[in-house]
Amino acid sequence: MTRDFGGARQGVFAPVDSQARVDAVVRRLGDAIELGLLADGEQLPGESDLATRLGVSTVTLREALMALRQQGLVTTRRGRGGGSFVTVPEGPAEERLRGLLIGWSTEELRDLGDHWAAVSGATARLAAHRTEPDDLVQLGRSVEQLAAAVEPPARSRVHGRFHVELAAAAQSARLTREAIALQTEVGALLSLVLADDECLKDVCDRHRAVICALQDGADDRARTLAEACVRLCVGRLVELRLATPGSADGSPP
Amino acid sequence: MGSSPRPAGAGPDLFGEVTAADVAARVRDTLEGVFDAVREIRDDAAALLTSVTAAGRQPETTDLAELRPGLQSRLTRLGLVSGAGFVAAPKLLADVPAWLEWWQIGSGGEVRPLLLDLDPEHSAYSDYTHWDWFALARDTGRRAVAGPYVDYLCSDEYSLTLSVPVTVDGRFMGVAAADVYLSHFEAAVMPVMQRLPAPAFLVNARGRVAASTCADYLTGALFKGPDFAAVPDGPADGVAHGGRRLRPCGGIPLILVT
Repeated sequence: MTRDFGGARQGVFAPVDSQARVDAVVRRLGDAIELGLLADGEQLPGESDLATRLGVSTVTLREALMALRQQGLVTTRRGRGGGSFVTVPEGPAEERLRGLLIGWSTEELRDLGDHWAAVSGATARLAAHRTEPDDLVQLGRSVEQLAAAVEPPARSRVHGRFHVELAAAAQSARLTREAIALQTEVGALLSLVLADDECLKDVCDRHRAVICALQDGADDRARTLAEACVRLCVGRLVELRLATPGSADGSPP
Repeated sequence: MGSSPRPAGAGPDLFGEVTAADVAARVRDTLEGVFDAVREIRDDAAALLTSVTAAGRQPETTDLAELRPGLQSRLTRLGLVSGAGFVAAPKLLADVPAWLEWWQIGSGGEVRPLLLDLDPEHSAYSDYTHWDWFALARDTGRRAVAGPYVDYLCSDEYSLTLSVPVTVDGRFMGVAAADVYLSHFEAAVMPVMQRLPAPAFLVNARGRVAASTCADYLTGALFKGPDFAAVPDGPADGVAHGGRRLRPCGGIPLILVT
């Protein structure tokens, strides 16, 4: 059975739009592997197919695959039954995730936070007008699952689902797709933030406060709370990024 | 879809005013057509599960492959339906804990399976039993219209999902269901709604707007206040609420507000 997170997985192979295409492809596929969107041992589509779907030239794709091989995330076998396969490397996940984080400059993280806060704030505001009690049940269930999740990757997955559910509660397919794409991008990194129990508790309390605001139909409060929670998470990421040794601010790894 | 001005001198057949009863009938007929297909899927699934059980086996995912030709032909035949299938109750199948035998039709007419990760170790979306299209059919034992909702599990589209429970000897086996994208539903009912003498909208049993010619209540908005639950079983010409009239659409759990 193929792994799929609904639209999130489709996002993995959607065209990349950055100028720095090799890095964009490396980051996209690397994050997807860290997130579990692509499974250990899963065969990637053939080079020309993959290049077409990602909207990059085959040369670019090969360079990206080379970088992924160097990170130990992809193995390429030649000959019959050959191809490129996802490999989830041994070693502490946190160390590998910190490696991923180095691929982000603080400016890129700040911009990601701006984008995510804009989407999350807007969805919270709309959801306050359009939420009925049944939407709140799903959101509440996600918060309690998040509070109870033990492993950081599981925390990150459920945390991402909360944001997707929030966008769905806003009744906007476009904002939901945007939330899914954002979670695909940020999800793996967030397990670094959510690994900290105190931070997890803080995030859960903030999510509960967002739900209360939705319940009250308090649109401004819902937006403010949702934005603040995103800023908290991204702020932690920036702190971690700045504390990661051997990485000059903004420079590629 | 924008509202187009009525051409002068147009005949009443195409452009004349319609009554609320006409709109309710159009909504009913549109979705009853989808329910016909969902009931066929249910019958196919129930027959299949009955024969496997009679052979003394617990069904497996491979058994459900028998449903595919029927699903594919219904998806190709019914323009309104974008996804259809059978969703197994957890633990029904011997080889997997959960399963959607679900097929979708793309914009180019290609029919393809939905392949979800249903492993809770890897996916936060592995449990589908809380979705309305599953829970309502299971808990009430009756057919259900779920939505409008953003279907972030299957299509990322704003959708209605019509479902019926599948039972064998009284035991719940899962649901048969079909997805109708809101844009397609709107295309089916708006032309007749636009011929009403005044703006109107359709809401689901929770007051969520499913289609509207009323700029104050667009699709996805909530119309709060009335007790919608009483409307479907009430009089065919509806009940009054404030200055409005709430009218049932046959046995379909949508309510026309005029």
